[in-house]
Amino acid sequence: MKGLVLSAAALVLLVIGSAVALRFYRGNKEFRVFLGAFGAAGALYAGAFWLLPPDLGFLPAGWRETAALVDFGNGFLLLVLMFHGYWCFSYFACLSPSMSVMVSLRLRGREGMTRAEALAIQGSDQPVNLIFQRRLPKLLQGGYVREEAGAYRILAPGERVAALGSFLKRLINAQMIA
Amino acid sequence: MLKGLVLCGLLIMIWLIVQAAVFHLVAPRKAFASMLACFAPTVPLYLVLYVMTPADVGFLPSGFVGADWRLGLVNGLALQVLLFLTAGLFYSHADRSITVRLLIELARAPQQRLTLAQMQAVCGVEVLMADRLEIMLANRFLSAQGDRFVLTPKGWIGGSIGLAARKILRMKAL
Repeated sequence: MKGLVLSAAALVLLVIGSAVALRFYRGNKEFRVFLGAFGAAGALYAGAFWLLPPDLGFLPAGWRETAALVDFGNGFLLLVLMFHGYWCFSYFACLSPSMSVMVSLRLRGREGMTRAEALAIQGSDQPVNLIFQRRLPKLLQGGYVREEAGAYRILAPGERVAALGSFLKRLINAQMIA
Repeated sequence: MLKGLVLCGLLIMIWLIVQAAVFHLVAPRKAFASMLACFAPTVPLYLVLYVMTPADVGFLPSGFVGADWRLGLVNGLALQVLLFLTAGLFYSHADRSITVRLLIELARAPQQRLTLAQMQAVCGVEVLMADRLEIMLANRFLSAQGDRFVLTPKGWIGGSIGLAARKILRMKAL
């Protein structure tokens, strides 16, 4: 139970800390903020687990896990899973094209929108739409693709990601739409 | 506590195998609904197994048995649900990730290179949004009224959650 309590406390701090940090962060590599917050929360969890007494000063004797390693590992696993869920939710809620449509419709009320207006949210009227404006620079900087003679060529790290992605798509029997 | 972890780990493994078989044999149109339908029976199964098996599950050392059984039961169940949700998110990554799709298209292309126009043609905003709008219609987040899309009550809740998250988290599209 000690691990669960500390894991919950670390998660609360992680969420608050990352939300505050995102308000001040000016770049477009938000994953660094999330990973930094997770690193701090993990260190805080481990430190608190090491320093605090097994009953945390208030847990009943029956709620104490006898094996400290199981207690620690269980709390850390829950922290990791909750962090992953929070990270995915944040990216989906803030950046997903589907969510952008729903948020725009939510703000418009009953007016609704046409297919062309839904496309325009993603900058379809611009030479390079938002989907590529956000991803291409990251793929270039990360060494996944290289720009050459007006085209983009995939590099070895990109090939590895593509191979993993293809494997996962085969595993879940997902179809490529394009 | 370890008993709950062992049982939930076992059930999640069984569910993953069954789910992989379902994806390949049935290819469900609504993937998450299929995942939920296959996962749901594992919850009562976990409860039955937890009640019926001994505290040491027949093989755990005595040092790993001792915490309140109710705590172990709830902890294992919570972990089982979290693992299911995590698996659902991994499915979503594999199925929907735009970056992965882009890299797969590049890897498949002749000489593994594409111009920006070619990339936009195979996985650009038109292709992507046509796909997403169809999914949102199928999952009843949107409904079509003539040539316009409007939110269903489910979509309104989704949009409200997204709106609140965007106000709090302040992540930018660029």
